[in-house]
Amino acid sequence: MGPSATRRAVLAGAAASAMLPFLRADRARAATPGELTFGLSSFPPSIQPWANTGTAAATIKLMIYRGLTSYAEDGSLRGELAESWQRAGATGWEFKLRDVRFQNGEKVTSADVKWTIEQIAAERSTAYFRAEMQKVERVETPDDRTVRIIMREPVATLPVWMASYHLPIISRNSPRGTFVGAGPFTLKAQERGVSLELEAFPGFHRQGFPKLRRIRAVAYQDENLRVAALRSGDVDLIEYVPWQSMDAIAADQNLKLDTVDGAFMFLVFNGGRPPFNDARVRRAVAHAVKREELVRAAFFGRGSPLMQLPVAESSPYYNAEFKDGWRYDPDLSKRLLAEAGHANGISCSLLSTAQYGMHKDTAEVVQQHLAAVGIRAELNLPDWATRVQIGNRGQYDLAVMGTAADSNDPDGIANFIDGSLAPSYVRSHGLKIDRITELLAAGRAEFDEEKRRDIYRQMERVAIEEAPIAGLTWRSQGYAMRRQVTGFRNMPGALTFYSGLTFETAEIA
Amino acid sequence: MLAFAARRLLVSLGLVWVVASLVFLVIHLIPGDPAELLLSQGGIAPDPAAVEELRERLGLNLPLWTQYVTYMTGLLRGDFGLSLQDEHPIGEEIALRLPRTLELVGAAGVISLIVGVPLGVAAALRAGGTLDRVLSACAGLALSIPVFVVGTLAVLVLAQELRLVSAGGYVPFARDPGRHLALLLMPACTIVVGLGAVVFRVMRSSVLEVLERDHVRAAQARGAAPGAIIRRHVVRNALTPVVTVVALHLGSLLGGTVLVEFVFNWPGLSGYLVRSVEARDYPEVMGIVLVISSLFVLLNFLVDLLYAVIDPRVRHG
Repeated sequence: MGPSATRRAVLAGAAASAMLPFLRADRARAATPGELTFGLSSFPPSIQPWANTGTAAATIKLMIYRGLTSYAEDGSLRGELAESWQRAGATGWEFKLRDVRFQNGEKVTSADVKWTIEQIAAERSTAYFRAEMQKVERVETPDDRTVRIIMREPVATLPVWMASYHLPIISRNSPRGTFVGAGPFTLKAQERGVSLELEAFPGFHRQGFPKLRRIRAVAYQDENLRVAALRSGDVDLIEYVPWQSMDAIAADQNLKLDTVDGAFMFLVFNGGRPPFNDARVRRAVAHAVKREELVRAAFFGRGSPLMQLPVAESSPYYNAEFKDGWRYDPDLSKRLLAEAGHANGISCSLLSTAQYGMHKDTAEVVQQHLAAVGIRAELNLPDWATRVQIGNRGQYDLAVMGTAADSNDPDGIANFIDGSLAPSYVRSHGLKIDRITELLAAGRAEFDEEKRRDIYRQMERVAIEEAPIAGLTWRSQGYAMRRQVTGFRNMPGALTFYSGLTFETAEIA
Repeated sequence: MLAFAARRLLVSLGLVWVVASLVFLVIHLIPGDPAELLLSQGGIAPDPAAVEELRERLGLNLPLWTQYVTYMTGLLRGDFGLSLQDEHPIGEEIALRLPRTLELVGAAGVISLIVGVPLGVAAALRAGGTLDRVLSACAGLALSIPVFVVGTLAVLVLAQELRLVSAGGYVPFARDPGRHLALLLMPACTIVVGLGAVVFRVMRSSVLEVLERDHVRAAQARGAAPGAIIRRHVVRNALTPVVTVVALHLGSLLGGTVLVEFVFNWPGLSGYLVRSVEARDYPEVMGIVLVISSLFVLLNFLVDLLYAVIDPRVRHG
């Protein structure tokens, strides 16, 4: 048997040796100058321009499409397809368009803007901004480069809406079923569920941009694999860096980490029934959670406590005086519960989801802290689809939510605190606080900056007392990239999911 | 024989219909509205009117039995329908992804046989010896480690630390054969860890059993060369249970490679199924499950036919 074993060993050794160069040839596929490989967190279910199909889709949309306005790297509003805008009468806005072209070579005209708004507002539309665009009374197009949008009531935030990645301007001559935009990259090919290939659009309106020739966006749904792909050199840039990997990436000489506190976690209540229809009980919850522990346990220390409404500190509307509005104070929680007639505590359900670790971990920590003040919360952790349905139907007492605001403007959080809007899992169920609705409407209709600030200050004061939600934590939203990647920026605050805008300035050596 | 085959075919088609109906019912009974979900991505509140519009467009507002009839009629025409998410033809997507899963499972099966069979024989021939004890211990360990742990460790060590291979992904064979095979190797080997251990164990015990049979003793008494006895009389006879076990495992792997596909970003059928369930994409889920179960039924049908050919008593039983 001896010679036979040796022969086998030799053959095995030879086979293994033959495999080595084969394996080696595979490494480090990224970092081709001018071509960037981007690790997406999921494959976009759709890149229909006006629908909200998630942040991965939004990032791809920011490569392909552009709106009338957008954001500069510092988060300030800037002209995009429009070079300027001003108020037109009591309820209108006038936009002057640049001399720019769509990716089909046609000029961007006021007729395209009018057509886009009509498509979004149409009866059978599933656009995210459908309700807002249905508030447009008429769109005037005095010439090709001028468009006047007349609203039914004054809307100070219309230029902000126009910067949304859900509101890009599309060529009215797009072939049926396709959407031709004016963004810096064109979609060349896609393999459903796997990857998208994008190429620079040479006619992009900013001279000299985009810097990259090509982007290959590959979906890595597993966050650990996404990090491994970056570290092994398969990709140049990744989004949604998992919190547990941030320290290791920051310490890696070959990589860069760019994080901002943009998204946030919060609690919503079922305000349609006891006990959370009582503001004192909601405040008792808000004061019962020690946020620092939550940041440590659920986000590996990558985040910060959120004890007021989720308006970014970088926003001109940030109210520092309320920064401890819902501070950790278990004694106060107990007093508030007693005042509300629950001196012996309460029992309730706490809805979250087991599908996303950050939601589950947040719920578990919150459960412990609530228990300490006498609120016995029973966890309900279904998958995300079920959690959304239960939330929309109000079949819960307390629920954990996590998201980012629409913009750094305080109107961007209306979705989460305005109980007059239709029932939704993102806001408290059956909890209509008239004063907040009124102040949000007043802020939307007010054009004077100082007066707006005052209105939102009043609104936050009411919110701290009424607790339409309970803020928990800001969470770090991170992008990581190889050192060779420059020009890509994580946008500030709530605009973190607009970072895809900076693909136009990104370069790779 | 023809009557027997026709009977079995009818039973098989009945089974496929039962599976299709069950899957239809189950996926519609679990909570979660696809229209609501599709418009709720990114934690944003969908406009209820938009949700209603979408439900109407997707036909989700129709009575369940109407949806059932529409679906079954489509199936009879060989039409799996369109994805609720982006109206992509499901048949095309399955046709694209099924071969990838089959390739992964097939590669794992072949490697498992290449590794497990010789090691099983070697261990059996030295039963009770050091090699047998070491190999058996390794097989026990391999069987006890969950596949996602093996996969994650492989990614961590081979891709992230040693940087020998890509962390995962997929490139079509036609575009880059070398890279395609390299990307196939890690997920396939991850499956091999468990499957190869099974093959090893079955082969080892099968060889031990065959070694005790009379025909082997007779060959030894005739003075046949030991190598020839092993090759001709032992291994060939011992392979039968191994092939049966591998075939069973490969069948279950068709829908069970979810974790491996997820860990290595291999865009096969299992990962597709998970994402479809998450999105409550009813037609996709039904199409994928139907294809997987039909493959099972087809395999069973072929095995039944084979039995009938081998043993005529089955036809009349």
